[in-house]
Amino acid sequence: MGPDLYAVPMDGVRKVVRAPLLTRLPTAPALVLGLFNLRGEIVPLLDTPALMGLSRIPDWPFVAVVRSSLGLAGLAATAFPEPAALGEPVGPSESPATAGTYAVGGRLAVLLDIEELLGGASRRGNHLLARPSMQGTG
Amino acid sequence: MSILDVESFRVLFAQEAEGRLATLGQLALELEAAGNDEGIIAAIFREVHTLKGSAAVVGFGEVSGCAHRLEQRLEALRSGASPVSSELVDALLQALDELGALTAQAVGGEVAEVGLKPLTIPTVSLPSPAAPAVRPPAGAHDAGVVMVPLERLDELIRLVGESAAAHLRVGRLLWERLGLEPAGIPEFSELSRTLNDLQERTMRTRMVPVATMTDQLHRAVRDLARTLGREVAWEVRGGDTELDRGVLRQLSDSLLHLVRNAVDHGVEIPEERVVAGKPPQGHILLHAMQLGSEVVIAVTDDGRGIDVSRVRSQAERQGIETAGLSDEEALQLVFRSGLSTAHFVSDVSGRGVGLDVVEASVGAARGRIEVRSVAGKGTEFRLIVPISLAVLPCLVVAAGDQHFALPMHSVILARADHAGDTAHAEERSAVWIGGMPVVVSSLVGTLGMPSTPPAGPVVILESGARRYGFQVDALVGQRDVVVKDLGQLLPRLGVVQGAGVDPDGAVLVVLDASGLIERAWRSGAAPADSPPTGAVREPPPAGGVILVVDDALTVRELQRSILERAGYRVRLASDGTEALAALIGEPVDLVLTDVEMPRLDGFGLTEAIRSHPALANTAVLILSSRASDEDRVRGMEAGADGYIIKSAFDERGLLTAVEQLLGSRG
Repeated sequence: MGPDLYAVPMDGVRKVVRAPLLTRLPTAPALVLGLFNLRGEIVPLLDTPALMGLSRIPDWPFVAVVRSSLGLAGLAATAFPEPAALGEPVGPSESPATAGTYAVGGRLAVLLDIEELLGGASRRGNHLLARPSMQGTG
Repeated sequence: MSILDVESFRVLFAQEAEGRLATLGQLALELEAAGNDEGIIAAIFREVHTLKGSAAVVGFGEVSGCAHRLEQRLEALRSGASPVSSELVDALLQALDELGALTAQAVGGEVAEVGLKPLTIPTVSLPSPAAPAVRPPAGAHDAGVVMVPLERLDELIRLVGESAAAHLRVGRLLWERLGLEPAGIPEFSELSRTLNDLQERTMRTRMVPVATMTDQLHRAVRDLARTLGREVAWEVRGGDTELDRGVLRQLSDSLLHLVRNAVDHGVEIPEERVVAGKPPQGHILLHAMQLGSEVVIAVTDDGRGIDVSRVRSQAERQGIETAGLSDEEALQLVFRSGLSTAHFVSDVSGRGVGLDVVEASVGAARGRIEVRSVAGKGTEFRLIVPISLAVLPCLVVAAGDQHFALPMHSVILARADHAGDTAHAEERSAVWIGGMPVVVSSLVGTLGMPSTPPAGPVVILESGARRYGFQVDALVGQRDVVVKDLGQLLPRLGVVQGAGVDPDGAVLVVLDASGLIERAWRSGAAPADSPPTGAVREPPPAGGVILVVDDALTVRELQRSILERAGYRVRLASDGTEALAALIGEPVDLVLTDVEMPRLDGFGLTEAIRSHPALANTAVLILSSRASDEDRVRGMEAGADGYIIKSAFDERGLLTAVEQLLGSRG
């Protein structure tokens, strides 16, 4: 996403799709970019950095469709997601719903915890997508 | 058995037992009507025997034992030692209930949710002779039927829908890339037809006949009639009419309520009927029929009918003007909460719920309810519901740069000639529909989406008694949309009912008429001919927001209807604690609270409001049945702005007090 690299475990990824045809969902929180059709299933596309309380994503040429206990979700990405093997973490990570920093080639990648990212807040009884930090600061 | 999963057999048994117990219930009722019918007795015997065997196989000893005892008692019946009587059928039904309860217990409450109450073993005499004769198990249940989990069917429906969509896309590609007209290619057309058939058949897999729930209703009618000393003949017509399983389940409580109502309030006691020149036995008819894409289920009784003048006088007492209403229109007032719970529904027929609840649950199944009644002759309630919840006929409109689907059942009309007869009032535009002005807003404006003001047709939507017009860019057409829930990941959105997939593969958002009208009313500031603000938060309406706090549902709903009619926006809470949480979440202009409530009472709530920095300025009006001066003083000391006595409570008094308090603050 932009200059930053993020990683999600491969077995949580259902599919990677190129900029899907998007339908906006009126009155939904801003981090719901819209809905798209994945072989007959309706999947919400989520603004990944905004989910972590970071800035809004400018565009989303690629989408990683991930599985969670709450259903499928599309995570918006600015570059094509590629497989990589992560070794030992090289350091901790600060953003919510992340699980450490890893070295990938000469770059750093932050590992995302999908369940926490998508479902964490609903476990706390307060819906994730209504969380104030989700408004995005632009 | 050992290598196979015992659990799965138990699930299978649960399904089998559910079917057999339902059949047995039906047979018992048939037996009562037919008297000593050897065929029926033999069938009952067979069913019980098979159930006993199955229970034993999966290791449910208690169930099997219970079935065995029942079987022994039935032997007397079969040998002709005891004649068929209502008492005997009572005992038989009770034994079946017990069997059902034991089965449910054994399989973990998975079976037969309806109508099973734990009962003691019946003591009514059925002499138990020696060993039962062994009969071959009945095979009727297994004939060509496969049990399939519902999710698997839904998955099929989804995939079939997707195949049809992909097929359309291929057609478009043929035209665009190769210049071939798809309709001119026989193989393509053939596939279109097959896919259409497939789609329809797949949908049908979710449908069940109405008869699957009529036995349960018959049983309820019979039991209640015996309790109340009525004689009732029960008749079902059109039992093979098919309906989506989900819709039928949603209706089951409502139907149960209506038939119990018919026994309790409709059918008179035999003596009274004879005096009125009717046969002593009353008649309750459930008639189901399919009309187009809807199913009508009518519950008719030949009892005393509803007294319209009483409906009128009760409505008048609640401040509802009925002089201008025809008898038929006045009759529909029985669905109003205050009215139906007060006198038309007793505990017996309603198990505590009123006709307003019936109407609400029919509404949840996207249906409607009507009532007709002739004094002295009888009453008919008609439930009109869509055949399937999965496929929703929609009007598709273009608004902003996307398409939206509006459920057809809430569309009153769509008109293109908006400019012709527009009226303006209070910065809103309105159109005349049947002599009544209907307020119009821009659809995209209401949805908070940026766009240029639309200049296209106006679609009038109706929800409950409210109508509202929404201006769009264009009407696209009618379409059956396979509506899907948006899942757990997204928050519930009031204006969105779900989404479907367009034939071209795009997601189509299906809007919810009631949520849309609600939002349009609340926002108020989005008239069709001013640019929509796209604002996320609506300004509070001119009338103000009131939180009604009362632990009695009827009182809450009554106050809500009075206040909403007067233009206030109303929120509800059922006790002080809940009210306080709601207030901290979002403050209101005025709190109208009862005194005696669980957890936190009205005085406590008032004190808590006064001591909370963000809420201290909220107006508080206490509404109490305690008329003592002591309580009034206590209310004032707690910090209330007003104190109304419930016995002196009338609509005008309430509104005056509210106006005074809100006016003095404004």
